[in-house]
Amino acid sequence: MRVTPRGFDTEFDPAQVFDDPTEMDLRPGADNCYKCSTCDTSCPVAEVDDDFPGPKFQGPEQWRLKKGDDRDIDPSITDCSNCMRCDNVCPSSVPLSQMHNTARGEYVEGQAPSLWSAEDALADGEFREALSYLRGVPSELSIEFVRNRVLSNYGTMAGLGSEVPRLTNLVMGSRVTKWVNDRFFGITAERDFPEFATQTFREWWRERGGPKVESADKRVAYFHGDYSNYNTPEVAKAMVRVYEFFGYEVRVPTQRCSGTPMFANGMLRDARRAAAVNISNLSDFVDRGYDVIASCTSCSMALGQEYPELFDIEGTQEVSTHTYEALEYLRIHEDLEDELRDADVEFPDLAYHAPCHARNQGLDRQAVELFGELDSLEVEDVGDSCSGISGTYGWKTEKYDTSMQIGEEMFEHMHDATGETGLTECPTCAMQMGHGTGYEIRHPLEVVEAALVDQ
Amino acid sequence: MSSRTGTDTDVVVIGGGSTGCGIARDLAMRGVDVTLVEKGNLTHGTTGRMHGLLHSGGRYAVSDQQSARECIEETRILEDIASHCVEKTGGLFVQLDEDDDAYYEEKLQGCRDCDIPAEELTAEQAHEIEPYLTSDVKRAIKVPDGAIDPFRLCVANAADAERHGGRVETHAPVTDLLVEEIRAEYVVNATGAWAGRVGEMAGLDIEVRPSKGVMTVMNVRQVDTVVNRCKPKGDADIIVPHETTCILGTTDVEVDDPDEYPEEQWEVDLMIDELSALVPILEDARTIRSYWGVRPLYEPPDTGTTDPTDITRQFFLLDHAERDDVGGMTSIVGGKFTTYRLMAERITDHVCEQLGIDRECTTADEPLPGSEDAGVLDDYMDAYGLRSPIAKRSTKRLGSKADEVLETDDPNPVLCTCEAVTRAELRDAIDHSGTDLNAARIRTRASMGNCQGGFCCHRMAYELSPEYDERAVRESLDELYQERWKGQRHALWGEQLSQAMLNHALHATTMNRDRDPANDEEPGIEYGAFDAGPGPDAEADRSATAAADGRVRSDGGVSDDEKDSSENGGTGKQEESTRGDQ
Repeated sequence: MRVTPRGFDTEFDPAQVFDDPTEMDLRPGADNCYKCSTCDTSCPVAEVDDDFPGPKFQGPEQWRLKKGDDRDIDPSITDCSNCMRCDNVCPSSVPLSQMHNTARGEYVEGQAPSLWSAEDALADGEFREALSYLRGVPSELSIEFVRNRVLSNYGTMAGLGSEVPRLTNLVMGSRVTKWVNDRFFGITAERDFPEFATQTFREWWRERGGPKVESADKRVAYFHGDYSNYNTPEVAKAMVRVYEFFGYEVRVPTQRCSGTPMFANGMLRDARRAAAVNISNLSDFVDRGYDVIASCTSCSMALGQEYPELFDIEGTQEVSTHTYEALEYLRIHEDLEDELRDADVEFPDLAYHAPCHARNQGLDRQAVELFGELDSLEVEDVGDSCSGISGTYGWKTEKYDTSMQIGEEMFEHMHDATGETGLTECPTCAMQMGHGTGYEIRHPLEVVEAALVDQ
Repeated sequence: MSSRTGTDTDVVVIGGGSTGCGIARDLAMRGVDVTLVEKGNLTHGTTGRMHGLLHSGGRYAVSDQQSARECIEETRILEDIASHCVEKTGGLFVQLDEDDDAYYEEKLQGCRDCDIPAEELTAEQAHEIEPYLTSDVKRAIKVPDGAIDPFRLCVANAADAERHGGRVETHAPVTDLLVEEIRAEYVVNATGAWAGRVGEMAGLDIEVRPSKGVMTVMNVRQVDTVVNRCKPKGDADIIVPHETTCILGTTDVEVDDPDEYPEEQWEVDLMIDELSALVPILEDARTIRSYWGVRPLYEPPDTGTTDPTDITRQFFLLDHAERDDVGGMTSIVGGKFTTYRLMAERITDHVCEQLGIDRECTTADEPLPGSEDAGVLDDYMDAYGLRSPIAKRSTKRLGSKADEVLETDDPNPVLCTCEAVTRAELRDAIDHSGTDLNAARIRTRASMGNCQGGFCCHRMAYELSPEYDERAVRESLDELYQERWKGQRHALWGEQLSQAMLNHALHATTMNRDRDPANDEEPGIEYGAFDAGPGPDAEADRSATAAADGRVRSDGGVSDDEKDSSENGGTGKQEESTRGDQ
């Protein structure tokens, strides 16, 4: 008998022939699956949608059934919200999220090859050629493609919008805009578009003159992401103040979207471009002794896990191993519990929801554990259900109902909790929490800031 | 009764492998009254245990050029007449840095001598085709090797024989050649490695030299083309992509008895160790099972070859009237799967000559059932309401039968998720194979994926009900589950060990199949009382028992999961299955 436990390695190197992640062969990843179906039982979409075949089919089964040159991915891949819970619960380390992201990328490529060609032609200034590619593409397909493209490139849109934040807020909040978005672009009118801050975080940072603390050994590069730059700069500011309180030198590298919404929409070309910029800029900082800190758990997930799973860009691994979530990092290097124990904080009682992506990084209990030390406020975990919005997913007209059904459990538990203010690390979970309960939603860094930093 | 001679049939063909089925088809197509008898189910012997390689002839291009020429010709024919059984994968002969240049040149020249299209590839080009090849590749030769499903091919031949008036009797062992049950004017012994056994019954001495070879089935396709190591004969030098899997092969060891020979772990280890040099990812890849086949090698008396790898792969037609003065019987021995049709043609020519029939062979031109209309295969998108990989796999298997089988108004859930087999496809197989679930398995591939039936054996058995009674269903389930277990015994490490444990837990514990009281001859449980429902006394407890029922459903349909839980499984042969599982 063979005694060496062959195959206990959970890692395999997918064959990546080209730079294009959709060319990746993930079939060997199916070796790890013994079909226990734990992934299916933890999938929030499968729980509410009987037509969704679930992660076991989407991942190991579909990959195993592929031949090398097959490009026809089942359309149900677009119903996956990319919460990545399956990835987390699999007892056998099947690379589920890598499989889903790659398959989704292949699906979108296969659906819209002429749309991508049109874009390439446009970029070259060949308008006639671009038009010729667009002829013959069904209009529903191009509209869906454009919508997903716009949603996944939120940063670009937000950059424009926040040039004139008050006007944008007025326009985006109007009923007419919502109706048009819903009717023609498939962006639900049920939700209120998040307001743009009158001053972005980066504007504030420039105005402030950059870091107030310099240090030779405590140095972090802050990956704020688009949302806390354009919409919730108070979170980013809290991050800076808290870190400076602990004596860290904070730098804010030039950056683009982490890619999370692009992965979820199968826009792997866009994701790769954004990742290339981020990896290049962040690895410069890592080389100089900085660790990378994100205040959004999906951003830290993208940098830490999805980049190395999908891209072979130089410096990816280096950035990945030096990336941390903001509270996680402080808990590793500082005695945060001790600091908070005697702090007096004026903050409302909180109903905390752990984002799925925080859960995947093992961070789902940290806010509750930390703030449990505070006598002056109560924080309750509202349970382990998914909020249901999953970034851009819940913004799509056809996914809105699914999104709200998934969120139902969380809304209920929030109502049952003592606190009437929500708390979470993830900006889109925050949108969903606010949408479902009407509560104001805060970020854990804001609590730490209120407890420790004199303003 | 045959009209010609007063016997039951004109010709009996013994052996339901590729050759026997091919002969039965050829004879039937030429209007001969033929009966095929097979002791197990079709492909029970060597055919069901072959590698799945459709030879371009490249493998024999140096050592056995006549076989090589026959292979390329027959491969072209099978690509045509059996398109639903063939995958045109192409093949590579890969030379590594350490391999001999002279042999590479010989191979290339040999292919060209035999009219086998052979294209030289640089290491880079070879990697573009097969990215998981080792970086030690020096160069490669590309040839038109392919993959073939021996099961579907045999079944199609048998079906076509029946369509032309032939009879096919499976589970019909030949006990004696003089028995009264089936009288025939002529007997064809197409039993391959078992030809000597059958010959003995007629007092004939047929010197087959059965030689075993191991094949190890990987869980996924690490390669999509047939990958051969380009060096002179050796063990463990070929990887064949087969459906969802890859099959590694093989060894060549002479055995005394085609039914009883040792299946040794070193053979499996050798496959993985040697072939990892060619495709390194195999080293840690998951193996789902291993099986052994016995080659029906034959060499004419007094050739005296000692090493079985040197025995020719050509086939021989032994007319026992000429050879042994025993009339009315011919044996066909040697040869290989790829040339089964040619062998059938030759022996049918011979039989027809004996019977005075003058009809041309048409088996090279007439497509087999399932391959009549190649266009159908490309037309699966959006068809039948199936998810795309399922529609694709199922349509490929069914070929031109796809419409007939998959177009159904009934719910058509996927029963075997590993291999994407739906209820409609399985029911169609059962229509042809009855309670023999292994026969349904080879027609559909259900239970041949990574869980090896752990999640679908019972679903498959359930489809036999209510047509067949409970006892028959349980026996079929046991038989299938045991067959699946047999091959996994040689893969019990890493992931497949986890799989086997999970399967055992599901079947023995969750389904209670090792202690199911329903298996008792005299059950101690009063099912009658239970089935009659609660009496008036129990009315008060109703709310308490309702929850345990677990069968309440809102849509009125039966979901798969509910079927699983409502179906008890069970082992008719309790001890045997328990022993097997340990």
